[in-house]
Amino acid sequence: MDRLVIADKEFDSRLLVGTGKFASPQVMAESLKAAGAEIVTVALRRVDIENENDDTLAAIDRTRYLLLPNTSGARDAEEAVRLARLARAATGINWVKLEVTPDPYYLLPDPVETLKAAEILVKDGFVVLPYINADPVLSKRLEDVGTATVMPLASPIGSNQGLRTRAALEIIIEQATVPVVVDAGLGLPSHAADAMEMGADAVLVNTAIATAADPVEMAAAFKLAVEAGRRAFLSGPAAAERRASASSPLTGFLRD
Amino acid sequence: MDVLKVNGVEKRFGEGELPGMLSDLLDYLDVNAATVVAEVDGQIVRREDFGRTELSDGQTIELVRLMGGG
Repeated sequence: MDRLVIADKEFDSRLLVGTGKFASPQVMAESLKAAGAEIVTVALRRVDIENENDDTLAAIDRTRYLLLPNTSGARDAEEAVRLARLARAATGINWVKLEVTPDPYYLLPDPVETLKAAEILVKDGFVVLPYINADPVLSKRLEDVGTATVMPLASPIGSNQGLRTRAALEIIIEQATVPVVVDAGLGLPSHAADAMEMGADAVLVNTAIATAADPVEMAAAFKLAVEAGRRAFLSGPAAAERRASASSPLTGFLRD
Repeated sequence: MDVLKVNGVEKRFGEGELPGMLSDLLDYLDVNAATVVAEVDGQIVRREDFGRTELSDGQTIELVRLMGGG
């Protein structure tokens, strides 16, 4: 059985889904189900004390999904560590998607602060899944400090641009000894399939599902694409050639 | 007059009206404690300890919860 192994847990699904931007908790719950997701990301924010917003995540069945809190909003290592510890207190889960994004326009992760925070959190007993730019050297440095995965971006968060970092992703996948989860920017199921065919261990999708006209149907489409891409990768894709190679016999033509 | 800074907002309480415990503050704010985690002056307080965490004038309190995110 081909299962995704992260830290001490095994998963059948290789599609992680984010819970942001859904029109309603019901649509989110149905989309997670259609995606077949087992790991879902969540954020940590201040309660709006002037206008109690209650628990929009009540629709998530926590016995069915592993909640993966992120540190979104953190601008440096210190803020990320603080958010991770609060998330652990809130969920009782020591898994964290480490995100340090000081730049509000492209939301690109800060490699120096991410590495610093990863080191602190690993020592503090966290299972750390760091969101990073597609940097093969940083990936190795994070592995060295003990992160459970690396999560390189395909293109900026929420941009739906697809695999803009392809060449670097290929190197990361080739060199990684921890699972590679391609995160951010996957806009279509074909992008996800492409990443899986390259040998990514999993992908994380949020915006492309949550903001589709029919999120539940799009979630189902991503599920098929991730499965197709994985099976293609395991099948050993045939080599690409510059020139044609006939599929039909080159003998026995009806001519003299 | 007692003051608590809650999620960046100053809350003022008259003589003897300061909520005694963190759980009392949540009731006062009408916040459902079941999904909240708190920080009092930078120290994390778990839900199970809300009822025995005494509040005092001048404290800074953060109330956070999980929300949708990617």
